[in-house]
Amino acid sequence: MYRQVLKAQWLAARLPVVLLALLGFALPLLIVTYGGSLENAPSDRVAQWLYAAEKIGTLIPGLALLVGLLLGIGAWAPDHAGKHVYALSLPVPRSMYVLLRFAAGGTLLAAPVVALGLGSLLAVEAIKLPVGVHAYPLQLTIRFALAALVCYAIFFSISIATKRAALVVLALICGAFLADLVLAVLSVSGSASVTTTAFYLLTNWPGPLSILMGRWALFDV
Amino acid sequence: MSRTLALALVLGAVAGPAAAQVATDREAVRLLSRAESLQARLERRDSLGRKQRYQERLARRFDAGDVTAILANSVGDATGHRVVAGASAFLSELGAIPPSFISSCVVVAYSATGKDSVLRAEGLIRRARIMADALSSPDTLADGAIVAVVIGRAYRESLDADWKAWLPEDVALVWTMKRDGAAAAQELMAGETDAGARCLAGDVARCRLWLGVDRDPTPYATRYRPAEIRRLLMKQFYGWGRVGGLPAECAAGSDRACLQVVDRGEWLSPVPASPRARAALVREVRALHGAATLRRALTDSSGSVGARLARAVGISEDSLIYEWRSWVLTGGGNARVAAGARDAMPALIFAGLLLLAAARSGRWR
Repeated sequence: MYRQVLKAQWLAARLPVVLLALLGFALPLLIVTYGGSLENAPSDRVAQWLYAAEKIGTLIPGLALLVGLLLGIGAWAPDHAGKHVYALSLPVPRSMYVLLRFAAGGTLLAAPVVALGLGSLLAVEAIKLPVGVHAYPLQLTIRFALAALVCYAIFFSISIATKRAALVVLALICGAFLADLVLAVLSVSGSASVTTTAFYLLTNWPGPLSILMGRWALFDV
Repeated sequence: MSRTLALALVLGAVAGPAAAQVATDREAVRLLSRAESLQARLERRDSLGRKQRYQERLARRFDAGDVTAILANSVGDATGHRVVAGASAFLSELGAIPPSFISSCVVVAYSATGKDSVLRAEGLIRRARIMADALSSPDTLADGAIVAVVIGRAYRESLDADWKAWLPEDVALVWTMKRDGAAAAQELMAGETDAGARCLAGDVARCRLWLGVDRDPTPYATRYRPAEIRRLLMKQFYGWGRVGGLPAECAAGSDRACLQVVDRGEWLSPVPASPRARAALVREVRALHGAATLRRALTDSSGSVGARLARAVGISEDSLIYEWRSWVLTGGGNARVAAGARDAMPALIFAGLLLLAAARSGRWR
């Protein structure tokens, strides 16, 4: 059953998967466009290069978000198009079908992750690092995989959510903004902000989105 | 008859102005007395104002921990206590300044009046006075940072010449990794000098030059390149090369002139690293090796600053500087790309919860 679902999902999402894999492979290589050895490079070049590594690194969580978005929504695209007739015709409970869809999407997610890992390894091999600068290809790949998985789970759930669930989420978001507006109008303590606090809690450990924050440089000290 | 008429006319001519004169004088007297009354009232009000202002400026003692400050009354009870408590917290947090030093001095606000009598009455007359301005407004007092910094500054002045020249003015008392640590890392990344850029690339010897932790008879020649001196001066002082004399020669390309002009110590710091970046070394020792180690290093007066810090820590100077470099560039020792169980756990749990929610409810229910 899993293989059939995976095959159906691959056929529906192969173009985005291939494009995302290409992006994942290219991104780490962008960092080493200077190429060559940095062991005896002029000092300002090493500084520029580290700066570039950090800047390019900030694109990687963006790629994780894109992967999660396209694969999460793509996982349910054929079902939405077919009005869920195919799913209803299958002799499996709905929860099992959701698991199969999630697993199939997760398998496809491995393609950009592996591509990023390969790109990182190739980038590391292409360059000789000066003393004190290290490469983090494995950590970067694992972090990317986790970030992509979180984004994928979010968009996967949103795609299949009921209207009521979507309304609840929307109401929560609007409520937070409304609360901020009320606090501002009532001039309650200048630093109090519901949205800021919520964002802080979500994006700082142990917040679920903390994986998207932090450092993403392939080469660093 | 005509004589009587003439007399009446004469009397009329004299009495009319005289009566008018009497009326004018009465009005003048009334106005004068009114003016005097107003003047007296004004003086009373001025006097009250003066008294009030005097009361507001009157010196008052505030204590928290080992910190004692004499501030103006106008600061207010709550603010005064908050300020000294804040200063005490800043000093305790760094822990580099011995409590004996802190309790041996008293911070006195310039703006406070009657300081001597308060110091005498409170038995503080033998303590070293640290005079400080900007201590009169609750706004400028902030959270006690200024009081802590003036104590830090006094402590720095009590140290030997090497520490005095190298330590940042506030002895790194008011320093946060998020703000100052990031700025120090940014400064290193900027690669303004060859020493800084090579330090960034991992050359510890250059880090020592950049931080200026070694004693050097010719600091400018060792720590800067002449071209860097020229570039930095031209950048910092608009039209510097047009001053004439040595600056003009330096701007025209004479390396010797560049070194000569900065050797006077007026134009450029002998240490390429800013006080903020130097404070990062103090903070690194504090964070990784404890306040006692830092206190030990600051009371040491033999050898260079780097040697003192390394001796207190118990590792080589190169190891210490390498440790500092990683600490600053990783924002306090956090791994650059973290992907351990600690990071994975929230992500996996969240993904699992979302999957569970998706499996339990759906569109075709």
